[in-house]
Amino acid sequence: MRKTNLLSLVVLLILSMALIQPVAAQTTTLRVLVHQNPPMVEFMEAFNQAFQERNPDIVVDMSVVNANDLSTVTQTRLSANDIDVIDMFGFANAVQPYMDNVDPPNWQQLADAGLLMDLTDQAFIANYDAATIADAGTYDGKVYAVNLGRVSYSGIYYNIDLFTANNVTVPTTWSELVQACETFNAAGIPCMTAGGKDGWPIFVGAYGLTGALYPDQAALVEGLWTGTITWNDERALEMWSRMQVYTRDMIESGASGIAADAAPGRFASGAVAMFPGGTWYAPAIEAAEPEFEWGYIPFPGSENAEDNQYLFGKYDQGWAVAANTPNAEAALLYLAEFSEPENYQAFVDAVGFIPTQPTAQLNTRLGEQVAPYLENFRVGYEQYWVSPRGVGQYANPWASYFQPFGTFDDPQALADTVQADLQSGLDAAGS
Amino acid sequence: MNAATSAASSTGRPLPWGKFASYGFLVLLAVIYLGPLLMLVNTSLKTTPSFNRDATRLASELHFENFAEAWEKANFPQYMLNSALYAASATTIYVVTAVFVAFPIARGYVKYSGVLLTLFVIALFLPPALIPQFQLILRLGLYNNPIGYILLFIVNPIGIVILVNYIKTVPKELDEAAALDGCGYFRFVWSIVLPLIRPAIATVVVLHAIGIWNEVILPTIYLTNEDYFPITRGLIVFQGVYGSDWPVLASAVLMLTLPMVILFLFLQRYIVSGLTAGSVKG
Amino acid sequence: MIGYHFGRGRARWLPYLLLLPGIIAYFVVALGPSLATSVYSFTDASGLPGAPINWVGLDNYEEFLFLGQAARDNLNAVGRTLVFCFFVTTIQFALGLLVALILNQKLRGRNFFRTLYFMPVILGAVIQGLIWSLFLYPLGGPLAKFLEIFGARSEFLGAQPTEAFAWVIVVQIWANMGTTMIIFLAGLQTISEEYYEAARIDGADRWQVFRNVTWPLLTPSVNTNLLLNVIGSLQAWQLFLILLGYRNGTQVLGYLIYATGFGQTSGSVTSSFRQGYAAAASIIMFLLVLVIGMAVQTVLRRREARLMG
Repeated sequence: MRKTNLLSLVVLLILSMALIQPVAAQTTTLRVLVHQNPPMVEFMEAFNQAFQERNPDIVVDMSVVNANDLSTVTQTRLSANDIDVIDMFGFANAVQPYMDNVDPPNWQQLADAGLLMDLTDQAFIANYDAATIADAGTYDGKVYAVNLGRVSYSGIYYNIDLFTANNVTVPTTWSELVQACETFNAAGIPCMTAGGKDGWPIFVGAYGLTGALYPDQAALVEGLWTGTITWNDERALEMWSRMQVYTRDMIESGASGIAADAAPGRFASGAVAMFPGGTWYAPAIEAAEPEFEWGYIPFPGSENAEDNQYLFGKYDQGWAVAANTPNAEAALLYLAEFSEPENYQAFVDAVGFIPTQPTAQLNTRLGEQVAPYLENFRVGYEQYWVSPRGVGQYANPWASYFQPFGTFDDPQALADTVQADLQSGLDAAGS
Repeated sequence: MNAATSAASSTGRPLPWGKFASYGFLVLLAVIYLGPLLMLVNTSLKTTPSFNRDATRLASELHFENFAEAWEKANFPQYMLNSALYAASATTIYVVTAVFVAFPIARGYVKYSGVLLTLFVIALFLPPALIPQFQLILRLGLYNNPIGYILLFIVNPIGIVILVNYIKTVPKELDEAAALDGCGYFRFVWSIVLPLIRPAIATVVVLHAIGIWNEVILPTIYLTNEDYFPITRGLIVFQGVYGSDWPVLASAVLMLTLPMVILFLFLQRYIVSGLTAGSVKG
Repeated sequence: MIGYHFGRGRARWLPYLLLLPGIIAYFVVALGPSLATSVYSFTDASGLPGAPINWVGLDNYEEFLFLGQAARDNLNAVGRTLVFCFFVTTIQFALGLLVALILNQKLRGRNFFRTLYFMPVILGAVIQGLIWSLFLYPLGGPLAKFLEIFGARSEFLGAQPTEAFAWVIVVQIWANMGTTMIIFLAGLQTISEEYYEAARIDGADRWQVFRNVTWPLLTPSVNTNLLLNVIGSLQAWQLFLILLGYRNGTQVLGYLIYATGFGQTSGSVTSSFRQGYAAAASIIMFLLVLVIGMAVQTVLRRREARLMG
């Protein structure tokens, strides 16, 4: 019967698939996991190639997964002991002594479970600046990760041609920003675009506003936990009111339908004047329209121009090594070579991170733009905050709660909801 | 089963105005069905800047290079072959085992067949069990192994239910006659029942293969060796966290779906009649 | 058990033997892991190798159902799931039936329409979602341009939660109506022409024919479709993920469980490995679907028994 033949064919195929085992016996296969970010993946492929040429006995097997799946795949691959070099995303938000009833973030759970290798004594650690190692690599006195770059999320990209054509100067205060948007809107040019469909680009875009009002974000987080700051006090209300102006009057109507990954293309097409967004968007903007002329400024969230000189942001991706790796030597060599200043410089050139090695420079257009503010780089709220269990869905200082992205249109009502949602978690933790 | 031919006029001869209204309705609905699909085709033929400027406008020049780019970047030839192997082998194994589960249950040839059927109906409700299932495959030593991956797809309760219901329409006298002729159980099911329930098999094959072909999460978790990747895993190269290339992605998606569309068109004539006796009974 | 003709003694065991692979596969690959999930739900397992696992009793369930405002959000998601289920089931059921009735007539292009309406089923959720993200692209997408003609506009998937949620209902129905239609078509073809002849001789009009012949005789397909639609819509999550993402005011239970499994919970900015908690959430969903599914099943069986005498 035909069916029988088909069946035997299939069985044969399965068997042959099982027999083709990868990897020859002599070489070490170094398993690297990274999240999908096209410029970074492209760089890593080139780096891996060069690494293999320098070390012919090592084969690099790099897997790329979606950023959303990274933590789950890290978990499953650690369970299978099928990973050597780990992509650590968000090495921040360590649980603080004043916090209670919280779940430690992924990386802290990994370290606590003994799954990360202690890198404290590795020579390449010295290549990174001390702040990076302390803030985004050290836990319980041991170094578990090297962080590869800072990104700022509190800036605004602006379209130089549109600014010139409409005689608008680069805003340095909140009123100037409001004024600039009014000018553009009157000229029929949407003021700002953002990936409103995904929500986070809206609230991340306004982190500069929060930053201008709460310059010390670590203190903000402690204040919220201990009750000395609330999301419906006077200062917070000012923040909410401005956020409403931002979501209602500044961001173009229709932005709530634009996905995060479509926003840079929308901005690069030249249709809008500004784009509040993280430094990570620069490669996507350049890829979309290489000739496009743009600049980058800190979000002028305060009326005092002095307060608007800060870039808030976070540490991006880092490398860690699996504690149980059978290829420790190769993994450490990989990190050491990656950390060599010229390789690291090439990485920064490709990815556009603000460097975490003191010798490296960001030579891109973005680098030029952020250079004046680099002295004032600060880690933001999102990197300190850990919610107690039980908080409601509105427990954060997020502009996206306002219409059209969310449902609120009254700052006072929103402020009270946010505080109540937070308080329910704090109360549960306290009891 | 000549239902397909006799039923064509079953609701009677509609009046002309009725036919007119029917067509109006069908065409209206067809617009909702075709529109999104045509948008996909149109996007696949554009350049990215032209898409960003005006998403809807018909592609003025046909940019087939999107397809070439997608084909190469997503490693289509190899991954597509893997996908085909997974879909073919898992579906074959599943269908063969399912027939030998469904037949005795439908006939009551095994004890507790009612209980067994209920068990399969309950499986429709089962919660996802990603991590325990992962640990199982891992302990079996089948992680990052095509066999382990195929193993994930050899169960499908809905298929059992469809088969059981269909087999019930096959006259029981057939069993007796065949047995009297000295036909054994295995040979009876394999060479007599199997051809008779072809429509139900076609339905189950299509439903099951579609599921395997379109799976996105499991390959990310279970397969880490590129040589084993199915085509859905290759699509990741078009997705960025911070910027996506819609036209190339659209081309890739079109190429990805083509094999399943062909499979469906091929088996289509069986499918309606395959569900004929379809009622879920526990 | 009566009427097995293929031999006695050892030969009698053949059906059991051949049944075994399928049953074992079912127990090992499906039932076993699900049972393990229920055990996990009473622990604080993180899912990481080497991390300690402690028995925590009902803590996870208590947290999901009662702790703080997060519990309110979770219960709202349950409510939204029921709303989603209601609209999807009724509309998809009615539309599928109507289309099947029309396409069961002799019509030119019948096969084309059948194929077209079934096409989305073949695409799978990811591509369905992608296609609709394109179609509903608010800046110059096709539907946006169409609305522009009437001076109207919408942000579709990015609109206010109620509207965005409604669009997911539309896409879910678009995606799955084909299956409902096919099952109804199959059911219609089992209805013998004789019944229609008899009804016509009695002078029944089209509505009466449908009411007294087609509808009762369609009972098996009605039952299958209702059950599949109810279960399918209660468990839906992929379209929510692709079309809307994690957005306040739109989550349904299935999506919440996916997000929890991947470390996200209500209002939190960090993500943690919490397999125990995620397992409890999925058991809660299992119970909800089971109760509703079984209730539907019972009602349908009673109705069937009444109709079939």
